[in-house]
Amino acid sequence: MKKQRILSYFISLFSFLLLGVSLHAQNDSITTTVNDSIKIKLKYGLRIGGDVGKLIRSFTDDDYSGFEVNADYRIKKALYIAGELGIEEKTTITDYLDVTTSGTYLKAGVDYNMYKNWLDMDNMIYSGFRVGAAAFSQNLNSLAVYNTDQYWAPQYASAESQKFNDLTAVWVELIIGIKVELFNNLYLGLNAQLKGLVTETIPNNFANIYIPGFNKTYDSSKIGAGYGYSISYLIPLYKKDKN
Amino acid sequence: MKHYKILALFFGIITIFSMGCEPDDICPESTPTTPSLIIRFYDILNQDSKKNVFNLKVQGVGNDNPLTDYNVVTKDSIVLPLKTDANTTQYSLHKEYSNTDNIIGGNEDFITINYSTEQVYVSRACGYKTIFKNVTLTINNDGDNWIQSKESINDNQSVEDEKAAHFKLFH
Repeated sequence: MKKQRILSYFISLFSFLLLGVSLHAQNDSITTTVNDSIKIKLKYGLRIGGDVGKLIRSFTDDDYSGFEVNADYRIKKALYIAGELGIEEKTTITDYLDVTTSGTYLKAGVDYNMYKNWLDMDNMIYSGFRVGAAAFSQNLNSLAVYNTDQYWAPQYASAESQKFNDLTAVWVELIIGIKVELFNNLYLGLNAQLKGLVTETIPNNFANIYIPGFNKTYDSSKIGAGYGYSISYLIPLYKKDKN
Repeated sequence: MKHYKILALFFGIITIFSMGCEPDDICPESTPTTPSLIIRFYDILNQDSKKNVFNLKVQGVGNDNPLTDYNVVTKDSIVLPLKTDANTTQYSLHKEYSNTDNIIGGNEDFITINYSTEQVYVSRACGYKTIFKNVTLTINNDGDNWIQSKESINDNQSVEDEKAAHFKLFH
């Protein structure tokens, strides 16, 4: 009695396993066809844009004019090669100095997308790294001597312009920002930059008050900051599966 | 969600940073800028010992006001600001000054300081300072000088900082 029960148990178990295998085999063939139909493709290509913030500032700020062209190229699902090319002219006026800086800059590096997109959406919350370099000149339009003692006022002032040419600077930059696809292939971006000056040409008996691309310099540190608003267009070159 | 936190943190850092750097635009008092001429008074009879001048009144020639802190005081040294927009500054050093019923007592001597100026860059906040080279001091002879003689600390005296005296006056 007991023996028979054990035997039937084994038979049923064995047949169940067999059935299971055959069921599994069937399942396999179905799922592959289902998967095929919802495969998600991602757009790869060259994204080119301009800095709208600098453009607006050029119209609203008398002491500033500048423009920046930026581009990125997707090399991996979340990794982009990115760069910016810009031109700036900025007049800095303090109580004792009036300086006009003008020049061009180039920045190159990578952006890494930290945002997990839903389906085939193509938005970015990214952090990036850049190496930047600028070639510029400074024109000291006027100066007034600083003196804590004002017994003999006014102090010496000079409106004779002095030009400092062939200045260069190199810096590194950390970027954090977002890029959102507003319409098909059209993106709006916003980013903030934290910069560290690596090397600069120090003009004789003067300093670099402003460096194109690096922005305002500080007496007490080699750190700089910046921001950007960009509108860019993606030229799609090919598509690749999202996996 | 985690990314938004990173983003918020980063913008926060930038804000704090830019606020923290605001004092950079104000020239700190500790920064040496345009120096003044420092004169010490010594005893003509014992040239190593300092000697006070009593009731001294110092006034720049061409300036309507006596030099602040030197309006009838007793001092063994004086700090004189020089004109940064000229190559000559003249001072009146009035010893034992008194004014009773508009009768002015004491002995007034004039000194003339000649120099050339040079502008030296300090910093973004302070801009330029003026330093003075080839500084010479002459005691204008009025027949009754209380200042007997003068001596510069260095040959070819310059006034580039306020660390030490630049001239000695003996009386």
